Amino acid sequence: MRPAAARLASPAAPLQPSRWGRWSVRTAAISYLVLLLIIPLVVIVQDGLRAGLDGLWRSITAPQAWSALQLTLWTAAVMALVNAVMGTLTAYVLVRYQFPGRALVNTLVDLPLALPTLVTGVMLVVLYGPQNAVGGWLQAALRWRIIFAPPGIVLALLFVNFPFVVRAVQPVLQSLDRAPEEAAATLGADAWLVFRRVTFPALRLPIVSGMLLSFARAIGEFGSIVIVAGNIPLRSQTAAVYVLGQVESENRLGASAMSMAMLALAFSLILIVDWLQRYRPAPAAKTL
Amino acid sequence: MSILLDQLTKRYEGHAVVNRVSLEVAEGEFFVLIGPSGSGKSTVLRLIAGLNQADDGRVLLHGRDVTATAPQQRGVGFVFQHYALFQHMSVADNVEFALRVRRVSTHECRHRRDELLELVGLTGLGRRMPAQLSGGQQQRVALARALAHRPEVLLLDEPFGALDARIRVELRRALRQIQSELGITTIFVTHDQEEAFELADRLGVMNFGRLLEVGTPRELYMRPQTEFVATFLGTANLLVGQLTGGAVRVGSLDFPLNTEASGLGQGVDNQRVQVLCRPEDVGVARPGDHLGCSQLGLGQVEQKTYAGSFERLLLRLPPLPGVRPISPPVTFGDEGILIEATRTQDVARHYPLEPGDKVKVGVRRIHALVHPGLSFLIVTDGSPVASPVLALGGEIARLAHARVKLLICGLPGDALPEQWQAVKERLGGGLASLEVRAAAEPPEVAVAYEVERQPCDLVILGLSPQQPAESSLLAERLLRVGDYHLLLVPGTTAVPTKALVGVSGGEPSKEDVLFAGRFLRHLGAEATLLSVLPSAAAAGPYRDRAVRFLLDGVRTLEVLGVRAEMAVRAGSPGQEILEQLQAGGHDLLVLGAPLADRDGRRPSSGVVSYVLGKATAQPVLIVRSKYATSPVRLSANEGRIQVIEEMTA
Repeated sequence: MRPAAARLASPAAPLQPSRWGRWSVRTAAISYLVLLLIIPLVVIVQDGLRAGLDGLWRSITAPQAWSALQLTLWTAAVMALVNAVMGTLTAYVLVRYQFPGRALVNTLVDLPLALPTLVTGVMLVVLYGPQNAVGGWLQAALRWRIIFAPPGIVLALLFVNFPFVVRAVQPVLQSLDRAPEEAAATLGADAWLVFRRVTFPALRLPIVSGMLLSFARAIGEFGSIVIVAGNIPLRSQTAAVYVLGQVESENRLGASAMSMAMLALAFSLILIVDWLQRYRPAPAAKTL
Repeated sequence: MSILLDQLTKRYEGHAVVNRVSLEVAEGEFFVLIGPSGSGKSTVLRLIAGLNQADDGRVLLHGRDVTATAPQQRGVGFVFQHYALFQHMSVADNVEFALRVRRVSTHECRHRRDELLELVGLTGLGRRMPAQLSGGQQQRVALARALAHRPEVLLLDEPFGALDARIRVELRRALRQIQSELGITTIFVTHDQEEAFELADRLGVMNFGRLLEVGTPRELYMRPQTEFVATFLGTANLLVGQLTGGAVRVGSLDFPLNTEASGLGQGVDNQRVQVLCRPEDVGVARPGDHLGCSQLGLGQVEQKTYAGSFERLLLRLPPLPGVRPISPPVTFGDEGILIEATRTQDVARHYPLEPGDKVKVGVRRIHALVHPGLSFLIVTDGSPVASPVLALGGEIARLAHARVKLLICGLPGDALPEQWQAVKERLGGGLASLEVRAAAEPPEVAVAYEVERQPCDLVILGLSPQQPAESSLLAERLLRVGDYHLLLVPGTTAVPTKALVGVSGGEPSKEDVLFAGRFLRHLGAEATLLSVLPSAAAAGPYRDRAVRFLLDGVRTLEVLGVRAEMAVRAGSPGQEILEQLQAGGHDLLVLGAPLADRDGRRPSSGVVSYVLGKATAQPVLIVRSKYATSPVRLSANEGRIQVIEEMTA
C-alpha cells in the first residue's frame, strides 16, 4: 500500500540555509504579496462597504447593475459549457492522433493568451459585423444578430478562454495509463464505451477545473467585449463594462460594489479549483 | 489447436520487434513465453489480443482467423503487468464490466461476480475500491475481470512483475490452480525463469523478436539447441569442444556423444561443438580426495557464495588446449577458464572449501550443441572488383568453418544464371554451408533485407581501389543498416597473417579485441595492438593507462590462441595507423566501428572514414561493438530477395 504520508501534500523542505537567509526569503515573498495583492483587495472591500452592507446590496441590485451581472454570468456559463466539450475534444485529438500540422495546432491553442483581447474584439466585429458578408448574411437569413448582442459576447469569451480546458485536460490525458482502456477493449467495450466509462472519469476533474478557471476569467473579461458588445445598458453591458461606465460617471460606490461582487465570485471559483486539485484521486497503482 | 501463430511479424520504425514467430498452443495448455526485456514477447501477446496490428502473418484462435479482428471480438482475457483496474469503479464493478458490456441481466451478473471473486479468493471484498487493495489483491481482481466473459484464451503479460517475491509465489500457485480448474488455454509472458519453470506445460524462449526454441522446461534446460537458450535458462558453463570419432572432446576428456543431441553430424571429425555443463554437474574435490567423475583439470576456488539450499563456487582453470570458454564469458585481460559449480550444503559441510584452495574439477554430464560458428554474408555485384572478395572471402570462410551466404546485388534478371554460376566458382568449394541469393537492389538495401531475414556476423564487401570515396561511403551506409562486422577487401587475395588492431582503450575497444581474437584465431594470424596517443600526452599517466590496456589486450588474445604484441605511437590517429600499417608490414587492419555522437548520428569524420578514404592496399575489418549505434533500419519487404540455391555440406 501507498504510505499514508505520501498522500499529504507536504511542502518539500528546501535545503537548510542560514537562519538569516531563511527569514529574509520569507519576508521578501510575503511582503511582495501583501503590497501587490492584499492591500488593494482590502482597500476595495473597504471602499465598497463605505455605505454599509445595505448600500452595497442596493448598488448591486440597481436594474442596470443587476442586468449587467446576470448577462455576465449566463454568457460565461454558456461559454464554459461549450468550452468543456470542445476543449476536451481538442485535447483528445492533440494527444491521441497523429496528423500533419499537429505541432502548429498545439501552438495555436495558446494564441488567445498572447493576443490583446481588444484585437480579438476587432476581429470578431470585422467577421460578424452587419456590414460584412458573414454577419450580413446571418442577420438577413437567420435574423441572428451577433455583434452588439449576447451571441457576440459568448463568441468573444469562447475565443479568449479557449486554452483553459485544453491545457487542463492535455497533460492528464498524456500521462494517462493506456492499459485500462486496452483492458476495457479486450473485455468487449467499443471505443465510445471505453471513452465514457474508462477515459472520461479520469478527465472529469481537469475538465471541471478548466471550466471554472475559464468561467472566472470570463467574469472579468473586458477588452474583447467592449468592442464586440458595445455598451448598451440592459442589453449588452457586462459587469466589467458597467464598472468602467460607473468610474467614468464618477459613481465610485457603484464601481466598487460591482467590483466586490466580481471579486467574490472569482475568489470563490479559485478556491473551488484549488480544492478540486488538492483532492485529485491518488494516481493508479502504477506508481506503487 | 487453440492458438496458432503463423509467421507473425510486427515492425516498429522498420525494425522487426516480432520476427516470423510461428507457434501452436494446444487446448488447455499453459504456455510460457520467456525472454529478456525487449525480446518481443509482450508484443506477441498484444498481437494475439489485437491490441497491436500485425504487419505480416496470421493469428488463429480455435481455427478462426482473427488477424484483422478488433480486440472486442477476439474473446480473449488479458491481464496486464500493472493490473489496469478501473480505479473509479468498485471491485465488483470491475469484475462485472465485461458482463455489463454484454448486457447480461443484473441477477446473472451478480451470480457470476460472486463465483469469480470466490475463485480468486476475494469473497466479500466486492465493495472495496482498487486503491484500497494490496498489489497482489489487485492482480487477483484483474484476473477475475479477465475471466468474467468466459474467454477462450487467457493472456497474461508479466502479471506478477510488480509484486514482491512471496506474493508472487502465492499468486503463481493460485493461477496454476485456477487455470487447470477452468482448463483455459493460457499464454503467460515473463522474464523470470523460476516462474516459467514452475508454471509452464511448455516454454518458448524469445530473443531479438525471434522464437528460438519451444519445449518442456526439462527439455530446454537439459538439452537446449542454441547457445542463447543454454545460457538464458539457468546458469551454464559453455565451452567449445571438438567432435572426434563419435565422442565429444573437452580438453583431455572424451565423452560419448549423447545421441539425443540431434543436428550433430555423425562421424564428421574435428567438427566444433558447444559443450554445455550445468553447475550441478561439475564435480569438485580437494587434491587428495576422490572426485567421482572424470577430471577436467586442476583449478582454484575463486569465489564462494552461500545461496541458501546450496553453495555456489566460481572456479578458475588454467587454459586448456583446444578449449575456448563462451560462458561465463572471457573477461578482458583475464587468463584461464572460469567454471561455475554448485554443491549441496551437506557436501559443502563435509568438504569445506575456501577461496584460494586448489581443487580438482571434473564433469559428470555434458550436453553437446551444434556450434553455430560464424556466419558470413559475402556481397558481390559480379564486377571485377568482386573477384578478390570471392577468393579471399571463400578462403577465410573455409578456415573459420563459417556458414556463407552469397548475395549478388544489382544484377539484371536475365543475366543471372551464367553469372551466378561463375561467381560461385570463384568462391571455391569445401564450405561448411553455402546459400546463394540475388537481389536487384543496391548492396545496402539488399543487405538490410537479408540480415533482417537472418542475422549474420560478418559482411564481406569488395573495396574499389580506384574509387576510394565511393567505397567508403558504401561502407558507412552498410554500417548504418545492420548489426554486423564489416570486412572490406581491396584487390588482394592472400589470407592475412599479420593484423594491426587499432584500439582506443575504452570499453568498446575491449569488445573489438575480443572479436578480432576470435576472427584471427581461425586465420592463424598474429596481431599487433596499436594505441595512438595525442602528441601532448605521449608520456605520463595517460600513456601508462594505454600500456596497461594493451597488456591486458595481448593477454586476452593469447588466451584466445592468437599471438600478439603491442605498439604505442603518438600523433594523429588516422595518419599514425596508416604509417604503422606500412612500417610493420601488416596485411589486415582492424578498427572499431565509429560510435555515435551526441545527437545519435554517426560522425562522418573519424578514423574509419579517414582510413577508408585513403584506399589502403590491405583489407580492413570494422568491428561493431554493442556500443556502436543501433542502426537505422529500412522497412523490409517480403520477396525482395530471390533464393537461388541452398546447399549444406
